[in-house]
Amino acid sequence: MDVFQILLNGIVLGALYACIAIGFSLVWGVLNVINMLHGSFIILGGYLTYFAWHYTGIYPIILLPFVALALFALGYVLQHLFINKVVTAPVLTTLTLTFGLDMILYNLMTVFFTATPRRVTLDLGTLSFGDVYLPIDRLLGMALALVLTALLYLVMRGSRIGRAIVAVRMDRQAAALMGIRVNQVYSITFGIGALMAGAAGAIFAMVFPVTTNLTGVFLGKAFVVCVIGGLGSVPGALVGGLALGLIESVAGYTIGPQNAITVGFLLMLFLLVVRPTGLIGVKGYE
Amino acid sequence: MAKPILEIDGLQAGYGDVQVLWDIGLSVNEGEIACVVGSNGAGKTTLLRTISGLIEPKAGSIVFDGEEIAGARPDEVLTRGIAHVPEGRRLFKGLTVEDNLLLGAYLRRDKSAVRDDMDFVLDLFPILKERRLQDATTMSGGEQQMCAIGRGIMSRPRLLVIDELSLGLAPRLVERLSEALIEINGTGLTILLVEQDVMTAFDVASRAFVIETGRVSMSGETSVLGEDPRVREAYMGI
Repeated sequence: MDVFQILLNGIVLGALYACIAIGFSLVWGVLNVINMLHGSFIILGGYLTYFAWHYTGIYPIILLPFVALALFALGYVLQHLFINKVVTAPVLTTLTLTFGLDMILYNLMTVFFTATPRRVTLDLGTLSFGDVYLPIDRLLGMALALVLTALLYLVMRGSRIGRAIVAVRMDRQAAALMGIRVNQVYSITFGIGALMAGAAGAIFAMVFPVTTNLTGVFLGKAFVVCVIGGLGSVPGALVGGLALGLIESVAGYTIGPQNAITVGFLLMLFLLVVRPTGLIGVKGYE
Repeated sequence: MAKPILEIDGLQAGYGDVQVLWDIGLSVNEGEIACVVGSNGAGKTTLLRTISGLIEPKAGSIVFDGEEIAGARPDEVLTRGIAHVPEGRRLFKGLTVEDNLLLGAYLRRDKSAVRDDMDFVLDLFPILKERRLQDATTMSGGEQQMCAIGRGIMSRPRLLVIDELSLGLAPRLVERLSEALIEINGTGLTILLVEQDVMTAFDVASRAFVIETGRVSMSGETSVLGEDPRVREAYMGI
């Protein structure tokens, strides 16, 4: 296979990984909560997109903002009602809580939607440049993933709520002295995390089949991307996502796709030893 | 007759089972600079944290501009008009000087007035203008204190409370900051300064309250207290 094809596959995959990980990274960095629900949020976004498309025929790109907003509302409410009650507890407590919530969501989805893999088929064809092939739906998915990533970056950097989220992350008490209602910012942040997950799921459903069996896989990817790239920043998730995508693509070609995931986890372990803040994480910033 | 803007009476507060403030009573008049002095662990910072709503008082009252604010949330206290410059500056890492200043104005919606106040702060501390787009926590201690005071002003408060203005700063910088406080006070803003360094505090403030183990032990005009042998011996080393 052509080296360009391998790199292209890696970049497309990497952009999707970045989109998967970004909400997870934000929640982990700001709330210090390891959100076990993240994989299920992604699949829920994928299923909502699939069924809305299947029954109404509305083009999935138009559905994406609505699915994302629905997930924002779900995330906000979950944080407001449950996680905020224990958000200052040690990380194991919040991890157990989100794990429990994930069991509920996961099983509800399996009951309502069944675990049948489902995919939005757009039949957009394939672009080819010499020996290099690129299905247009994947190109579209990558573009959407990058646009969403850029949007989140702009919101975090340039908006009032973005400043408040960073302030809460850096110093909760000083943020309170600025008049920021910390628990409300937590709810909004968790909502944004779910929103990004839902949007990632909607994109995934246009590119690959989604099924509830994949929630753990997505959660694992988000975890690896965060550790590789560095926690809590948009550029960190982007770099981590692209790195993992490229590594899996190269490893999949050279030593076989069955080993690609192992290589990703090995890289994560290696980085934990030599550079625990991630590729572009800043010390004290994690 | 000076009109009190802040009146505290019988205030008790602490952390969990540890009571720090036993009986605090003091008042700050509109337009003045008052100070609270006392040694390490006397309860000065706890007092400020209770005023700004970070800690719930166990008993007592805090009346600001005629309204009871004891037990109010920090954002409610700030909305009423009390801004708190915390000990150790506590600027937000990873954010620029400008973003830090804007966070001081987080609750305000009057954008053009916020811009005016930003200009006022940058004129007051011209070095901040040069460092506007720099990560605020990479500045020197004195510059960070200027930024922290500026951040407090950005909420357009009626009372600015400052915890340990001079902590860890060179005397020349402390003098510069003291002058700035007097200039800010000249615009009509009331200031309550909390200091371990009694000399500095008495230079700036017109009235003082001395706190010992959670109680106000002495109070009065700084010109009078500064001559009191007990104060001179205990806090000025004279």
